[in-house]
Amino acid sequence: MDYVSPFDEQSREAEPLAPRASSLDGARIALLDISKRRGEEFLDHLEARLRSAGAQVRRYRKPTFARPAPHDLIEEIARDANLVVEALAD
Amino acid sequence: MHVDATTAPDFELPSVDGEPLSLAQLLPQVPGDTLLLLFVHAECPTARLTLRRLGPLGPELAAAGTRLVVIAEESVAAAARLTRTLGVDATVLAQEAPWAISKAYDVESVPTAVVVDASGSIAGRTEGWDVESLTDLLPVELPNDEPRWKPGCGARASYTVGGESDSLGASGDVTEAHEDMFERGWTDGLPVVPPTAENVERMLGERNPADSLGPVPPGMGEATLERVASCAVLAGCRPEYFPVVLAAVRCVLDPAFNVHGQAVTTSPPGQIVIVNGPIRDELGLNSGMGALASGARANLTIGRAVRLVVHLTGGASPSSLDRAALGHPGKLSFCIAENEEASPWEPLHVERGFQPLESTVTVMAGDAPSSVSDHRSISPADLAATIGWGAAGGWSPFMWPMDANSLFVISPEHARTLASEGWSKRDVREAIYAEVRRPARDLNRGETTPVVEQADPDELIAKWPTVDRIHVIVAGGEAGRFSAVIGPSMSMDASMLTRRIEE
Repeated sequence: MDYVSPFDEQSREAEPLAPRASSLDGARIALLDISKRRGEEFLDHLEARLRSAGAQVRRYRKPTFARPAPHDLIEEIARDANLVVEALAD
Repeated sequence: MHVDATTAPDFELPSVDGEPLSLAQLLPQVPGDTLLLLFVHAECPTARLTLRRLGPLGPELAAAGTRLVVIAEESVAAAARLTRTLGVDATVLAQEAPWAISKAYDVESVPTAVVVDASGSIAGRTEGWDVESLTDLLPVELPNDEPRWKPGCGARASYTVGGESDSLGASGDVTEAHEDMFERGWTDGLPVVPPTAENVERMLGERNPADSLGPVPPGMGEATLERVASCAVLAGCRPEYFPVVLAAVRCVLDPAFNVHGQAVTTSPPGQIVIVNGPIRDELGLNSGMGALASGARANLTIGRAVRLVVHLTGGASPSSLDRAALGHPGKLSFCIAENEEASPWEPLHVERGFQPLESTVTVMAGDAPSSVSDHRSISPADLAATIGWGAAGGWSPFMWPMDANSLFVISPEHARTLASEGWSKRDVREAIYAEVRRPARDLNRGETTPVVEQADPDELIAKWPTVDRIHVIVAGGEAGRFSAVIGPSMSMDASMLTRRIEE
């Protein structure tokens, strides 16, 4: 039967996961605060632990959790960091 | 189980791999080995359970000397689909009407398992899902999960008189098409109308199928008119509903509506469509009795088509990109027509700058409706208080002010009372806004706001930050003093948007 798909198959192709890091030593880690309440508290603790494990850490912040991160912010993180932790909060 | 030293009737049936296979070809070559014929059909839950439990054990059974052969009372395509979706790893044969092989083996119910030995004799038999009996027949351990016993269902062979099956054959095709839609994932969980090229072309009319309304968040599938038409067909729309669907999808894809946030949030919202203007009557949209309920094709299929665009083209399917913890039933379909004729006030689209005779859609992000009953109040002020307080628990009983839209759907009887002292719609909204306030001390618990936390305990806090968050429409049947409040969808940065229906 000749059907018209509601799917856009092109957009449905899953991006493969990036290779997992084997060590935190010297890693440049971006911590992304998505602007939910108390997300920064979680990231404060994470930052302390990551630093004590030898990682370099930089903090970033989305203007609102309700929308995707602005393109420029994504580009900046991709340029500066090789690992990202996004704090969902709640 | 009973053991009969009778000869197994011969057969030749098409396998789902394409080659016909006969009993002679399937019989074991090694004495002591056996053949397990498992009769099933797709509509029997017990047969599906059996396939799910036994089917994956095909290789293990074969290694232990028993070849599993599923004989499905289905077409080749349906047999293949049934066994593939249930993880069956075995030979699968398809048997269509008049199901002579089932009859030859006296199969009256499914599942029926028949063991045939190397000499071609029937060595055992059991019906239904019966772990104890099957364990006696088989050389492997069966999973020890509940249920361990479940009765089967009538075999197709048992309910076709004389083997004539023209009507069943036809309904079988329809069933197959519906099952095919589920297998493709082209559904919101309910049966859909298959989007055949012909159906989609009818929906499109003269429009260019390749034109696009833009990418649909969150998966960013391109909303070509052809795909939107496919969703409208799947939803069950008539072609004359399509302009409403298109206008609503245009609103939904407007960045100010932020459907991206709504589609992926753990909170519940769906996309609610409100229709105003003459098109309500032209399409038979129900704005009267049961306006928020089941029964009207136009309302249900238009709302469903919009949701399917987000769900399918946008990829926001639950447990995938849609992360809603619960969601709500309105995420299947939620399209309201305002009962402008029963309203004492200007309708929503006129409030929002359109002409009374223009037809429009308005979209809002919203949670499930909550009913508010008041059979006693006779003054607008009292009734506005009741209806307003009906929204007080929105989002959280302590989330004040709640910076989100609340849509009050006022029934005609309530509307008459609210307008009885010459109150305008604005007066009603202002009254609700002024009425629903509580002292900060009562609100400073659970999920509250910085406003409450920083306020003097006696300070009165309003439920909404401004009256602009309060919206009012009229809908419903002439009798019944019930209104409802829809919403809220918090923190989604989702504007309510209105657009003229014109395509």
